[in-house]
This record gives sequence, C-alpha cells and structure tokens, in this order.
Amino acid sequence: MSVLQPSPTPAAGVKKPARRCAEICLELLCVESVRLFHEKQSGPAAAAALEAVGFRVGQQLAERYTRDKTRLGDTLEVIKFVCKEFWQALFKKQVDNLKTNHRGVYVLQDNGFRWLQRLSVPAAGSDPAREEAARQIALSYLHLPCGVVRGALCHLGVSCTVEADPKHLPSCTFTVRILA
Amino acid sequence: MKMGITCVAFIGPQNNPMYLRSMDPATDDHYLKLHYIVHCALDAVEEKVLLKRGPSDSQDVYLGLLYPTEDYRVYGYLTNTHVKIILLLDDEAPIKDEAVLRVLRRLHSLYVDTTSNPFHKFGLPITSPRFDAQLEQIVALYPRPGASLGGFTT
Repeated sequence: MSVLQPSPTPAAGVKKPARRCAEICLELLCVESVRLFHEKQSGPAAAAALEAVGFRVGQQLAERYTRDKTRLGDTLEVIKFVCKEFWQALFKKQVDNLKTNHRGVYVLQDNGFRWLQRLSVPAAGSDPAREEAARQIALSYLHLPCGVVRGALCHLGVSCTVEADPKHLPSCTFTVRILA
Repeated sequence: MKMGITCVAFIGPQNNPMYLRSMDPATDDHYLKLHYIVHCALDAVEEKVLLKRGPSDSQDVYLGLLYPTEDYRVYGYLTNTHVKIILLLDDEAPIKDEAVLRVLRRLHSLYVDTTSNPFHKFGLPITSPRFDAQLEQIVALYPRPGASLGGFTT
C-alpha cells in the first residue's frame, strides 16, 4: 500500500491552479476595517487613512490587471478600462453608465455597487432623515473603494480625485476629476 | 565567452531606476557604462512611443530592438503602468524576437508579483533577494549563443 504522497511540485512553466478565497472574507474585512479606522481616529482622518489604504491596493491591482493587456492610449481608454475590466474583476460587473463633460470630469454609475449590497436600505419614500442617515453610513464605506479606483487611475498615468455619491442605494456614482 | 543577456533594468514611471543588474561578471566594473546605455535607451523608448501614436498602430507592450550600440543590442518593453524593462544583449547571432519577448513577459510577471508584496514601496529600488534569484532563473531561460534551441541538454 503506497504512502500518501504530496502532490508533485509542478514542473517549471506549468501554472499552479489559482487559489481562491470566499467573497464573504473580503466583505467582512471591509466592514471591519471601516469600523477599526473610525474607532482609532476621528471622521476625516479615518476617511483619509482608508482612502490611502485603498490607493495602495489600487496601484497593485492596476499592475496585475493590466499585465496582459495591450498598451492603453489616452485618458479615455484608461477610464474605459477601469469601467470594464477593472470593475469586472473587482466588483463582478461592469460600470453601468459612463458620462463625461469632455472637460476632465467623468461620472461612473454603478446600479448595484457590490461592496454596499449588504447595507440595509430604508424603503423608498420613507422618512428623509432615515435616508440621509443611511447615506452617511454608506459614505463611510465608500472611502476604501474610492481609494482603490484613484490608486488604479493614478498608477496608470491619470492623476485625479475620486468622489463617491450614494444617491439611491444600492446605486452609486463615482465622480472622477482629472487634475491638470 | 559571450553571454546572452548582459543586463536587465527596470525603470519606473518617472524614469527613476528601480533595478539594474549586470548578469555578466565581466561587466561588473562597468556599471556607469550600463547606466548610461540604459539611460539612452529611455530616449529611444519615448521616440518609439511617439511614433506609434498613429491611428492604425496597435499599441504594443513589446518595443523590440531599440538601438544597437557597438557592444550590445538594447531591447525595450513598456508596461501599462509606464514601467520600462530594458534588456541588454551581447549576442552576435541573429536574435529571435520571440525568445526576447518570452523573457520580457516573464520579467513583467515577476515584477507584478513583487509589487503585490505589501512591503513593496513603489518607485523605490527593488532590494528583494527573492527577486534577484527569480530574475536569474528567468534570464537563464534565454538560449545562450551556441547552445541548441529545443528540448535537449547537450
């Protein structure tokens, strides 16, 4: 009876199967990081810290997701890449709507932002104070993804600021303003 | 004996040198010369990028032969994140583009994996010993002049 052998190490050049992680881990990590940063620091400082974390992750993801791609040309191509492939890889769907004023402002609209899907939403038409409170909570969870998007764009050569607006949850718009 | 790949360099988006490694012990003293050649190569990279701005040209990451100097041939590769990978080849035989491209692609993959390290600092020189070791392995894949191409070891 042969002893159980560990699976043979793959020969050089053969790719190991990609390791996977359950998505709930990412969701819990995001929720916990927001809670942790807001506990350690006050409002704007926590927001800046989360954005900085996201920025770094965005840079690294930009390296990885553009690795096998042909070279992107101008700003619009980079934005389109972010709306399609980058969003697909990160949020399992593409951006639903892209608008621009052709003067350096791009609005990305996602009807069903994945990282906010667990947020309980007050029923439409209910008390506006409740809706505003929900909006504020959603904003605190959007610093991280804004940072990721900004990190990716800056690393691909598009210097910008990214602001999120949770209009009608779970739909969310991201406004990208190109810095001169 | 002539090596294949003499030097590998990674240059960042602001033309900041992140990594320059001489693979040939004979050129260890000539670091200044290597730096100079790589620096000139950056101008050639910019030229090629500007030339390819035509509407019909697809923008490729592989820039091919940038320019030949008296001792070396310089090959370039430009990633989407504006990182340039420069290879200096010391090979008199006709060079196969696919072999060079293969090495450059692997170097790119290595770079991507290295940047995924949470302790990596973007823009600063790469000092990881693991990076050094894996780079040597990749460079060893490039067929040396006179060696047989194909699956046999002679």
